[in-house]
Amino acid sequence: MSDVPPVLLRVVVVDDEPLARAVLREYLTSELHVEVVAECANGFEAVKAVSELAPDLLLLDVQMPKLDGFEVLDLVGREVAVVFTTAYDQYALRAFEVHAVDYLLKPVSAERLSAALARVRERLGRGERSASEGALAAARPPDGRAHRVLVRDGPRVHVIPVDKIDYVQAQDDYICIRSEGNDFLKEQTLAETEASLDPAVFVRIHRSYLLNLARLVRVDQDERENRVVVLADGRRLPVSRAGYTRLSALL
Amino acid sequence: MHPILARLERLAAYLALWCAIAVLVGLVLTQQGLTWPEALVLVLPPLLVYAFVCLSAWYVCRAMPLASSGVPGVLTASIVAASVAGGLWLALDEIWISTLESMPALAPVTLRFRAQTPFLFAVSVMLFLLVLSVHYVVLAFEAFRDAERQQLELKVLTRDAELRALRAQIDPHFLYNSLNSISALTGADPAAARRMCLLLADFLRTTLRVSTQESITLAEELTLADRFLSIEQVRFGPRLQVERRIDETAAQCRIPPLVLQPLLENAVAHGIAGLIDGGTIRLDVERRDGRLSIAVENPRDPDALPRTRGSGVGLENVRRRLSIVFGGAARLDAVPGPSGFRVALDLPCSIDE
Repeated sequence: MSDVPPVLLRVVVVDDEPLARAVLREYLTSELHVEVVAECANGFEAVKAVSELAPDLLLLDVQMPKLDGFEVLDLVGREVAVVFTTAYDQYALRAFEVHAVDYLLKPVSAERLSAALARVRERLGRGERSASEGALAAARPPDGRAHRVLVRDGPRVHVIPVDKIDYVQAQDDYICIRSEGNDFLKEQTLAETEASLDPAVFVRIHRSYLLNLARLVRVDQDERENRVVVLADGRRLPVSRAGYTRLSALL
Repeated sequence: MHPILARLERLAAYLALWCAIAVLVGLVLTQQGLTWPEALVLVLPPLLVYAFVCLSAWYVCRAMPLASSGVPGVLTASIVAASVAGGLWLALDEIWISTLESMPALAPVTLRFRAQTPFLFAVSVMLFLLVLSVHYVVLAFEAFRDAERQQLELKVLTRDAELRALRAQIDPHFLYNSLNSISALTGADPAAARRMCLLLADFLRTTLRVSTQESITLAEELTLADRFLSIEQVRFGPRLQVERRIDETAAQCRIPPLVLQPLLENAVAHGIAGLIDGGTIRLDVERRDGRLSIAVENPRDPDALPRTRGSGVGLENVRRRLSIVFGGAARLDAVPGPSGFRVALDLPCSIDE
């Protein structure tokens, strides 16, 4: 029917329940032009599999230990299409906000999975590989503030509790998160980071800096009479005029 | 307010009925030598006023309800009220005849009218008693209808409460996930799929049965817990381990149904499910000095995010039910630890012999 020969869809199945993976694998083996390249029992394995195998599609459970499905999507959503599989219907809206291709309710039927695969092919055919930047910012919990920030380092995932963050610095298309003496790079804008963190704790002191107030020791002036903040570890960060106004309002 | 006075159309019907009564009394009077017009002039106006006097029967009925007053009481009250009404009739009759006497044209017939006073007195007392008994019948009918409606409402309320309780007790996601497991097993291991179906059916049936009971034995609750854990073990595989330490002398203790079940559900959902390698749920049951203590302990991920729909609801539900049943005599303590969670129930243990 289609003029284009169907491309091989390389799929990773992610679910912490062996039986839930088994039924998806069973369905997928009877699909044409689909290959299951890995099965993962948790989010860390899923991130690793995406890095190492570069699959086309993640079939992703939502409720899993350590990293939930939305966090996995936050980390790898730019590289791979995601179809959620879950027994919970209340995540559907959020799933589409973060541009998941589809949302399958357990128990999953073979027909429904086929339809989801067709949507994936359609989207890949249009050249949209993955979720958009803005959509990913919506991946944070709907109850508001993030409790932790996830940073991907190739196949590894760093989980940084927000109270361990000293400050966040904008660097081109990335942010650099300073925590416990380490710098973590993440593909995100500072504005997105700011929106996901508690505004009573993190204040934008400068176009390029978001500061954890708990790290602030004092406000000082540098040799050119510009304001700077001094952190607990002695580090000095620039403060803009608008940033100083925001800082004063919180102190 | 009297129900007849409350609505104009009822009052009109009531007075029309009294006109008919007046005609009947008039008929009797024509047998005694009065002409039709004379008879009607004599009885109709005072009877219409008397109609209002008779409405007071309502208050007698209300003051002396049949159900609680006993026959002598009701009879005494009826006789006293009828006598008072008869007295009022005499007064009405007297006022009316005196009024007629003051009109010269009618003066001659009033003598014959006065002759009818004893008869009319008797009629008035009888009429009052008649109205009184009609009131009693109507009230009894209404009471019956009320009782019937209340019973129906109660039935609906009870069923609603049961349904709500059930909804709270069987987590639909537990069902969906179990069905998904069955769906997976159907292809690979049909015998296991069948075992799982039977377990699930057994679990559902027992849950439905015990949820309508006021109390069940601990043994029944433990059987239900075993079914539940077996089903979850199919789902989670070796990630879910269970250790039981059950005091066998507690088996016959009577407890409210489904107080252990939510604790285990939490232990699985918020403990085991959040751990990559799973862990062991410990169930301790002990009976001592007429009290029963049940403790459920589970490991949990120390880094886990606080869940939005948390264990709080299930625990709160159990706590509320315990306080309804036992008042202050039962306790539920939830102790979150750094790497685990422990919920302890302490309640009076009664045993039916």
